[in-house]
Amino acid sequence: MLEFVNLYLVNGIVLGCVYALGAIGITMIFGILRFGHFAHGDMMTAGAYIALALVWASGMPVLWVLPAAMLLTAALGAGLHWAFYRPLDTGTGSTIVIVIASFGVALMLRSAVQLFFGVDITTYQRGFQTPIWIADTIRILPRHLWIIGLTIALVVALHLFLTRSRLGKAMRAMSDNRALARISGIGTMRVVLAAWAVGGALAAAGGVFLGIDTQLSTQMGWNLLLPMFAAAVLGGIGNPVGAALGALVVGVAEELVTFPWFGEPLLSPAYKSAVSFAILVALLVWRPTGLTRGRVF
Amino acid sequence: MTPLLEARGLYAGYGGMDILRGCTITVAPREMVVIVGPNGAGKSTAMKAVFGLVRIREGRVIFDGQDITNAPPESLAPRGLAYVPQEHNVFATLTVEENLEMGAYTRRSGIAEAKARVFGLLPALKIKRRQPAGELSGGQRQMVAIGRALMMEPKLLMLDEPSAGLSPKVLAEILEAIAAINAAGVAILMVEQNAKAALAMAHRGYVLAGGQNRFEGPGPELLADREVAASFLGG
Repeated sequence: MLEFVNLYLVNGIVLGCVYALGAIGITMIFGILRFGHFAHGDMMTAGAYIALALVWASGMPVLWVLPAAMLLTAALGAGLHWAFYRPLDTGTGSTIVIVIASFGVALMLRSAVQLFFGVDITTYQRGFQTPIWIADTIRILPRHLWIIGLTIALVVALHLFLTRSRLGKAMRAMSDNRALARISGIGTMRVVLAAWAVGGALAAAGGVFLGIDTQLSTQMGWNLLLPMFAAAVLGGIGNPVGAALGALVVGVAEELVTFPWFGEPLLSPAYKSAVSFAILVALLVWRPTGLTRGRVF
Repeated sequence: MTPLLEARGLYAGYGGMDILRGCTITVAPREMVVIVGPNGAGKSTAMKAVFGLVRIREGRVIFDGQDITNAPPESLAPRGLAYVPQEHNVFATLTVEENLEMGAYTRRSGIAEAKARVFGLLPALKIKRRQPAGELSGGQRQMVAIGRALMMEPKLLMLDEPSAGLSPKVLAEILEAIAAINAAGVAILMVEQNAKAALAMAHRGYVLAGGQNRFEGPGPELLADREVAASFLGG
């Protein structure tokens, strides 16, 4: 039982946190602009490496430079939209061109990271962390506590932003009904750029958390794409808090299939990513609106 | 009196095909004007063209002394022109109160007062204010849509078929609310299927057909006109 919690459940929750921070951006961008952003994983990679550069430059621990990395990646997200997606938005509702363009942007971001940082795997900090014991039974690493705590704080902050602030409500309004938002006088471009900034900032946090938990590689974000899309669909597309919960389900499910339920692992860890694929297919067949009854487009 | 809205000689349509062919609509301050006509006459298109949602190929739209021909729709609410589309006219996942706040997005002050005024005009909304608009009945949704449009304290409120899909009882309520809004000093331009009920309360009416003005005159006069009645009001 303790082995289950300490080695599988906690890891699953941490993984879910990383997915959540990316899936929120994916679902927001889909909600407002109606396209799947396939460069989102690589935006997380970029955020993680921006933090690495800040660590090198300042010598501070990575969590200290996290706010700066989030700000820079927020600017990157808004900049990507302005430079690459906005010119392709014809306003006719056809977004497939933008989806394809986002594949191009994904390659571009990854190559840019490789150009500056090389292709070798690296870490923020060397060395071991000793786990903390909670009530003498549950063993958890300090970095896992940080990741889970900060993710909860970010999701709560996002929720308050979306439900309390004028700009946040405008984002929900645009995601709900873009035409009516324009009719109401909501300046579309500012809200869109703000959504990109929020998506970018959260993506950076997700990338950094993955880097803290494991290591940095230029493929790290790209590999997250499938589970993050599964989480976004699971939570109901266009529903950020739903995406976060969906991510938790996907992350925990991926870890739990490797648990030796019947004496040996159900699935070899190498097949973990099949879980999100299975979730995605099952949802699209039986419940395309997601578990929270989000919208279908 | 100089008109508040003057849309003159409009040619507009979709994909190169003109639906409006020289139609002209004017609204004076505080006036209630109704557009009636058969299906496909271009009534809704005329509204959309005025609001910058359908490209005008020829013609001019002057609102409150300013040329707003083909102006971007999001620039019009701050100028005092409000529009309620026929469909998808509320933010279904936002609460009633949030819908109203979105109507006042470009306002920096007086939002609480505007909200109180809208609740005064449409009291049914007040009890429902924390409920998502998508959960409300058709009539209540229409009230939310109108309330959203009123938040900027517009000089002219344009309504595209506010009674669409409503029961006769609810229709009467909506028309009553619209009359109250007009009495409060807001000019109204309304497209309406229920021509008789709408013309009866209007100061002036237009009969549109084939994208052109066919008849024009005070509401009761149009109602009494035998030719209008025979061709457009179903006898």
